[in-house]
Amino acid sequence: MIRLKSELFADLDGSVEGVRRALQNAIELEHATIPPYLYALYSLKPGTNLEIAGLIKSIVSQEMLHMSLDCNILNAICGTPKIDGPCFLPKYPGPLPGGVEGDLIVPLAPFSKQLVQDTFMVIEEPEDPLHFPVLKAELAGAALPETIGQFYAKIADQINHLPKDDFASDRNQLTTGFKPLQKMHVHDAPSAIRAINLIVEQGEGTTTSPLDPEHEPAHYYRFAEIYNGRKLIANPDTQPCAPPYVYGGHKIEFDPTGVLPVITNPSRASYPAGSKAANLNRTFNYTYTSLLKSLHLVFNGEPDRLGPAIGLMESMKEQAQVLMSTETVPGQTAGPSFEYTPVNE
Amino acid sequence: MSYLNSLRLHFAGQFQAAPSTVNNDPLHYNNQTFQPSFQEPQTGNQPSQLNGWWNPNGDAAWRLIGCRVTGAYINNQPAPRADPILNYLVADSDVTVAAKLVDLDPEQQMVSEIWGMQVRICDKDGVNLLRGFYKTAAFIDIWDRAPGGGDLIAGAAYTSVLYGLEWGPIESSEFLLKLRVASAASGKLSIKFNVDGYNMDPKSADFTRGRIVGSIGPGLPGEPDHLIVGRHFMAVATGGGNFFVPQGKINFCPAVVSAGEGKIYLDLGNSLPTTTSGGAIAPVGQLALGYAGAAPETIDTIPYLGDHWYENTAGVVALPAGRNLTGEEIQKVSSNPLVLALTDANGNSTGGINEPADGLYARADQFVFRANPGDRAEARIYATRYGRPYAGARIVNILDPSQLQPSSPLGPAPAVALPDSALDFPARLTTGPDGVATLPIRVADPGNPRQFIDGQVYGIRPLLEETLAYGTNDTYNPWDFVSLLAFSGFAAADPVVWHGCLQPIFEQYANLYPVMKHFLDMADYESASANVKLLLLAFGLPPGDPNSMPVTRDLSAAKRAAIIRWLSHPGPDGKPVKGVAAATQAAPMAPPAPVPEQVTELPQRGGKAAAASRRLYLRHRR
Repeated sequence: MIRLKSELFADLDGSVEGVRRALQNAIELEHATIPPYLYALYSLKPGTNLEIAGLIKSIVSQEMLHMSLDCNILNAICGTPKIDGPCFLPKYPGPLPGGVEGDLIVPLAPFSKQLVQDTFMVIEEPEDPLHFPVLKAELAGAALPETIGQFYAKIADQINHLPKDDFASDRNQLTTGFKPLQKMHVHDAPSAIRAINLIVEQGEGTTTSPLDPEHEPAHYYRFAEIYNGRKLIANPDTQPCAPPYVYGGHKIEFDPTGVLPVITNPSRASYPAGSKAANLNRTFNYTYTSLLKSLHLVFNGEPDRLGPAIGLMESMKEQAQVLMSTETVPGQTAGPSFEYTPVNE
Repeated sequence: MSYLNSLRLHFAGQFQAAPSTVNNDPLHYNNQTFQPSFQEPQTGNQPSQLNGWWNPNGDAAWRLIGCRVTGAYINNQPAPRADPILNYLVADSDVTVAAKLVDLDPEQQMVSEIWGMQVRICDKDGVNLLRGFYKTAAFIDIWDRAPGGGDLIAGAAYTSVLYGLEWGPIESSEFLLKLRVASAASGKLSIKFNVDGYNMDPKSADFTRGRIVGSIGPGLPGEPDHLIVGRHFMAVATGGGNFFVPQGKINFCPAVVSAGEGKIYLDLGNSLPTTTSGGAIAPVGQLALGYAGAAPETIDTIPYLGDHWYENTAGVVALPAGRNLTGEEIQKVSSNPLVLALTDANGNSTGGINEPADGLYARADQFVFRANPGDRAEARIYATRYGRPYAGARIVNILDPSQLQPSSPLGPAPAVALPDSALDFPARLTTGPDGVATLPIRVADPGNPRQFIDGQVYGIRPLLEETLAYGTNDTYNPWDFVSLLAFSGFAAADPVVWHGCLQPIFEQYANLYPVMKHFLDMADYESASANVKLLLLAFGLPPGDPNSMPVTRDLSAAKRAAIIRWLSHPGPDGKPVKGVAAATQAAPMAPPAPVPEQVTELPQRGGKAAAASRRLYLRHRR
């Protein structure tokens, strides 16, 4: 479970400015999960580990949706999402933006079950007091770091108390690209709360069910499916004391030979200047930076730019696969470093 | 005045051009004989080893990389030191995917066009001072610029305009402020760049990259987009080499005489040979600009061997340096051919190039067209005499397929330019008072003469009547002609179905562009129908969008409409309509037997060199 810094919560001081700041933090947090997930996804050799790839892809897609919903809410309260800029990208390995120092360190690493368990499941882990009573007790007297779910809950609570005239009726809403967005036009507190509920439920499920509103396992449970190697299903054992769900569905095969031997935590400095890997990495980073610039425009009144943004995402995939097939030292291939690169030189 | 202007900047850096080379061989378009090995890199230089040539996984990306502003001139003087312009970069788009480099046709590969490029001037942090949209343009004047063989030795030039200009915070740059003012009336900037030093070694860090050196200046109202209305030096071919070897060592080049400024702007950017591929300009002797006639004179020499001269000037010089043309010189150059002379230390001639004796020139502005049955393409022909509009010039237009490349290392390839009845254009035109004539080309359905390659490709050469007798030793530019791809008519089934209708189209793209495997298997119905949204997006984009599919811009309007209809009208199962497969699939045919005797330049040395060696006119010469 990711614990967030108390400063993030302190921003939520009841003012609309505080909610805007919190939503900007939420956007950065949602985004920060995407490079590590993509890195693991790209490291799967094309044509192998297809079900695992599909699950990760579905999660990445929903993280993008969550980022979009956060932007829609922020726009609805007349905020300005800031997506283009060197500070928008976290450094990997490192904590997620807003995460407590010394807590989870998120790497760019090739796919492994260990990575899924140690990092991805921790990122997506819901707060569950029944399972973590000791942890909660420990924190009671400390600096009160709290969870992503609680962060969103507090945002929702403050949105509920914003005056109606803090909302614009139709401001910079993205209503295409993801199906739920068509029905998620944010223009008042109830529509903002609906968007937040979708984010939380897709990420964490509900307190009573691991399934999101579309009846798919929430992110934590999807990663658990990958880790456990079986799909999550309703428990065929319906006795009252039996858990309602079990990892007992069909097998999710993992072929370790279907993972490219890519470098962990690459940076620009990982590749000698002028080398093929350095050139490919720089162009990838330029493309990724272009994607952020493009999304910045999408969420600041130019939704028609979503098409070019999707093109950039597709281009990243192709480039990453070429990079990850480029050997840097015997037995190891390169990987994209996801660093802000506004010019390709 | 274009980029040949007292207000201009120069830039230098790298370009990247990464086309798929599977489509370099026309016979690879044949689904029936296509082999999986055609998607593999070549393993040798024998026809049986060519496979998919040297870059089968290319994605057609065209990029500007590390291009820096190397020179900026205001009134022909370097921009003030305080002007930050020399700290800026010339970059491509920061909000879309890379532009695309696209051949017109497998049988006309010598006019590769750049589609969907944005050009920016930005600082090192990516702050944009200027963004413009590059008007699609093809290279021209390809020649053997460096010693050796293959594409590595080639040099070529792109001339076009930037439009839709968006200016950023340029207040601190006097140069950019002046450029904005100078381009305000047309809304365009003129941009020209030269490419050479292409790297084709897959193991190299610079694989698919080369050197680019260029110039940007204001566009003026009424100027053509891809052509300098000015003086044109015409090289004479030796007849050897891969592309074009000028007898006088200097390739085709343009110049503009500005009587008002007392200067001749000369662009040698794609005209001076280099010592190595992408290397330094070769020392070919003292180079001087002058004029011919009864009393020939030299105007000035050109310091082309100075340190970084090429990168810092892009080969553009304003002559005479340090003084202005005298009244007599202006009068002489207005009625005598300009001459570029090369001499050795003893003053003996070692080469050179000049304008034709009568100072005549004519060329189409845009010279690459794609047309559907029923379309009317229009080429604007600009005729000049000593750089001035040639009013009332008589233009003769001839069907000329001589530079097209209907052959393959693997066997006989479909013929080009037939049927000629598919094109209807006037044999003669007369230019108006502005020296311009519009050549209308009415395009009818050519049928399916090439069977497995859609449509037909043609060449039309507009010539001034006075220069009709072009030939081996005449001063004509073989690259100055109009290339046109006429698409075949296509009637889709209703409803549009996969089997028997779209499947062959998708299979051909899957064959020719293996890079698509990163996204989907285009030859597979299930894969295509699982990616409907993505395909609809890409096939629905205009060709000027860098994401437009197909990347090759060789899909007829009728086929595109059928694909979009198919994708957007699912059947009862919610998927695009599959239709019924033919009862028995024909077994794949054996690949065609190689006929190596037809090959003069094998693709180990590059796609352009191989295509150039397959031109019809060489066949006729043999």
